[in-house]
Amino acid sequence: MDQRLIRNFCIVAHIDHGKSTLADRFLDVTHAVAERQMREQYLDRMDLERERGITIKAQAVRLAYPHDGVEYELNLIDTPGHVDFTYEVSRSLAACEGAILLVDAAQGIEAQTLANFHLARDAGLSIVPVVNKIDLPAANPDGVAEELAELVGAEPQDVLRVSAKSGAGVTELLRALIDRVPSPSGDPAAPLRALVFDSSYDPYRGVVAYLRVVDGEITGRSRVVFMSNRSTSESEEVGVFAPDASPRPALTAGDVGYLITGVKDLRQAKVGDTVTLASRPAGKALPGYREPKPMVWSGLYPAEGGDYAVLRDALDKLKLSDAALVYEPESSLALGFGFRCGFLGLLHMDIVKERLEREFNLELIATAPNVEFRVIRQTEVISVHNPSEMPQPGTYDYVEEPFVLATVVTPSSFLGPVMELCQQRRGSLQDLRYLSPERAEVHYLLPLAEIIFDFFDLLKSRTRGYASLDYEHWGYERSDLVRVDLLLQGEAVDAFSSVVHRDKAPTYGRAMAERLRELIPRQLFEVAIQATIGSRVIARETVRAKRKDVLAKCYGGDITRKRKLLEKQKEGKRRMRRVGRVDVPQEAFIAALRVDQQPAGRQP
Amino acid sequence: MTPRARDEHVQPGSAGIDGSAGLYVHIPFCLTRCGYCDFNTYAGLEHLAGAYLEGLTLESDLAAPEWRDHTFVSVFFGGGTPTMLPSERLGDLLGSLRRRFSFDPAAEITVEANPDTVDGRALAGLLASGVGRLSLGVQSFDPAVLVSLERVHSPQSARTAFAAARSAGFQNVNLDLIYGANGETLESWRRTVEEAVALEPDHLSCYALTVEPSTRLGRKVAAGMVPPPDPDLQADMYHVACDLLGAAGYEHYEISNWATPGRRCLHNMGYWQGRPYLGLGAGAHSHRDGRRWWNVRPPRQYLDLLDGGELPIGGEERLSDAERATERLLLGLRVADGIPAQWLPDGRATPFVEDGLAERRGDRLALTDRGMLVANELVLAFAAGIGGVEPPGP
Repeated sequence: MDQRLIRNFCIVAHIDHGKSTLADRFLDVTHAVAERQMREQYLDRMDLERERGITIKAQAVRLAYPHDGVEYELNLIDTPGHVDFTYEVSRSLAACEGAILLVDAAQGIEAQTLANFHLARDAGLSIVPVVNKIDLPAANPDGVAEELAELVGAEPQDVLRVSAKSGAGVTELLRALIDRVPSPSGDPAAPLRALVFDSSYDPYRGVVAYLRVVDGEITGRSRVVFMSNRSTSESEEVGVFAPDASPRPALTAGDVGYLITGVKDLRQAKVGDTVTLASRPAGKALPGYREPKPMVWSGLYPAEGGDYAVLRDALDKLKLSDAALVYEPESSLALGFGFRCGFLGLLHMDIVKERLEREFNLELIATAPNVEFRVIRQTEVISVHNPSEMPQPGTYDYVEEPFVLATVVTPSSFLGPVMELCQQRRGSLQDLRYLSPERAEVHYLLPLAEIIFDFFDLLKSRTRGYASLDYEHWGYERSDLVRVDLLLQGEAVDAFSSVVHRDKAPTYGRAMAERLRELIPRQLFEVAIQATIGSRVIARETVRAKRKDVLAKCYGGDITRKRKLLEKQKEGKRRMRRVGRVDVPQEAFIAALRVDQQPAGRQP
Repeated sequence: MTPRARDEHVQPGSAGIDGSAGLYVHIPFCLTRCGYCDFNTYAGLEHLAGAYLEGLTLESDLAAPEWRDHTFVSVFFGGGTPTMLPSERLGDLLGSLRRRFSFDPAAEITVEANPDTVDGRALAGLLASGVGRLSLGVQSFDPAVLVSLERVHSPQSARTAFAAARSAGFQNVNLDLIYGANGETLESWRRTVEEAVALEPDHLSCYALTVEPSTRLGRKVAAGMVPPPDPDLQADMYHVACDLLGAAGYEHYEISNWATPGRRCLHNMGYWQGRPYLGLGAGAHSHRDGRRWWNVRPPRQYLDLLDGGELPIGGEERLSDAERATERLLLGLRVADGIPAQWLPDGRATPFVEDGLAERRGDRLALTDRGMLVANELVLAFAAGIGGVEPPGP
């Protein structure tokens, strides 16, 4: 295809501003999908995605659109909409020449709008600003168009207005894309360089790499090299999504499509990698490749100890379709054998856990997620993925934790509460700007650990839902962190250990001890619960001894019933974990470690 | 032979070798159904009484050949309320049982009664027909607690019934008490025990109220209309009973049972010691040679099956070795005599002895008063790895 007739673009938007609906409308207008096959959010394929209403994996679709008597090829590259997947967003952007910046006419610019706009602009993309949902009763298209024009440096009349729902303005938008987004400008004669902007795993075909061909050409029969690790494989098929996978003889410079190599391990086709040909390799890979880096860690343990091997196999299989997942075996005194797993973020963790449980029929206990700490001891840097492995105080020089640069967009009237919240979460103000007299954007450096649990919910509740949040990873900074252990009868329960800022440790320790007192059933003896920092006790609770557990009467010789009751009780015991002499039910672990109910002050 | 002497020679493991057995006869009629009761009993079925007595005779005929080589050392008429039947009929029933089964001449023969269902004449009749032990369902001496339990009698009628039993000549009378009813305080319970002791009964059973889901009380608790019994308050009440009854000279010989010397309930001891027993009547349970079986519960179905000439058995189980081991422990540990210490691996009981929940008495291991109240937990802990109950997970 003539590159001049190709437009590669993506849509960047804040969540719920209508990205998926607009993509559906493009498919309608270009008749890419027969109407009877049309279903909502066509591009979100995985069941989980459909249920959660978000896009996890980027997808691409080719739209054929005639304009001025010529048929153009418009490649829409869908980008993930969650901060866990910022890196994948950046690779999707790198596959495009243009971006639609979509903003809800009733909501205006939000934090994700800003963050994604900056990403798109930094990637050198042409920005097409669009106000969506202009038919909403609360819509303020003029006001929002002004904000948008201000942001992207355009005139308000250049901002397009659409209703993705009704289709109004969508044809005009397609024309604007052709006019305003430059065509690709790679060299079709040069050695092949194709960017892997996403990949997925098909149980039958193996790895599917989503490619943007920058230079050269790739055919369905060639030997390809993934440049990051020099691994080679045979290409079995190339094609485009129109919108379902349709094989093509070749993809050439400017094209967006897919490559199937029959490789069964997704790690062979990592997002950001460059594909070239073994017969005529490119000299230099495309810029920007980065190994996926887990930001959040959690121990996953089978609820049934015997399921360890099943969990291991499940992780091995899941890894094939999730290159960002990392894991290493670990054992816990309390939970037995399991794996310490690294995730891109909490959403990623939720998805992995849910897939393990759903697709492999496992019941799992997940320890409370934590970030990766760095312990500095003279010249040595120790990475700690598990709080219980944090060295005792006094044995190291200092500790570092990861920080993020957070962007919050809020109505100016809520600026006070927003800044107060950021301050409470150990944030330091970096910048404060007004988008308009009514709306402001603030930038804070915050410890990642402070925002991954409940920060977003608190932000929403303190601003009546008006504020929005986005963040990017910043790097490691020194922090005054301590390890808080929870002890039962003097014995530390490793799964409950946590690394907490020193100022918040007492509150945290008290809350966890109290919580465990409620969750641990009474035993035949009094159970002491202590929260400690090193050898110092910062909180103490007691579970009183159980005094009555007997069937008072065995009437008329019905011993069978009594024995069965006892056997049931025994079955309950079997599902308990023993810490010293203390039986702790599985449910207590699950409840105490639940992410959504971490006590205030908790820092993963 | 006194019942006490028998207690000592019938030990777990040797039970039944001497050919002794117990006989339980279930009378499923009641004036009203109490809210907490989940026994197999019915109010308003009295018109079946005649047919039911015939049914018991039919069942005896069918069952007797299998029990020819057993001597019955105890008979227990339970219910329901056996004294809903006229004493003459109970006497006739006892006579018909004597003709079909071999009774020990000194057999302990108990009839359960509710205070409002007995008078001097009826009691004299029972005594004359050979009933030597009376068990009165007093439950409480606090009128408010009796109302809470939905019992129809008054404290006064309990005292009257007890006095009538004594003047009729009963030398062995038990009072059943229940603690932990909604609204009952520790003080109220203390007064109930004191009043009971003042009557000088020969035997006392004090049961912690247990909420069974299938009962009216169970449904009320589930619906939040009535609070469930507080286990700590019940524990306090239990210890009040232990203290008061111990001071009054009663031996605490089983979790819920106290007796003056020589007055342990031989029949119930049989259950704990593994002695074989035959249960007659609707829903009655039997046990012999590692087999437990039970009759169908509805009286009509019970009668229909007998009319067809078959034993009205509703179900049975044959105990595995592991199940027998579990039972031996759970039954043996209920009794003050405990179990032979060698049943447990060395050291298994040590932490519990140190905690004051169990104690060594010569070559036996028994639960203390405190230990008895958590017998379920202790059985699970003791049984780990030696029988049907496996140790708790890693």
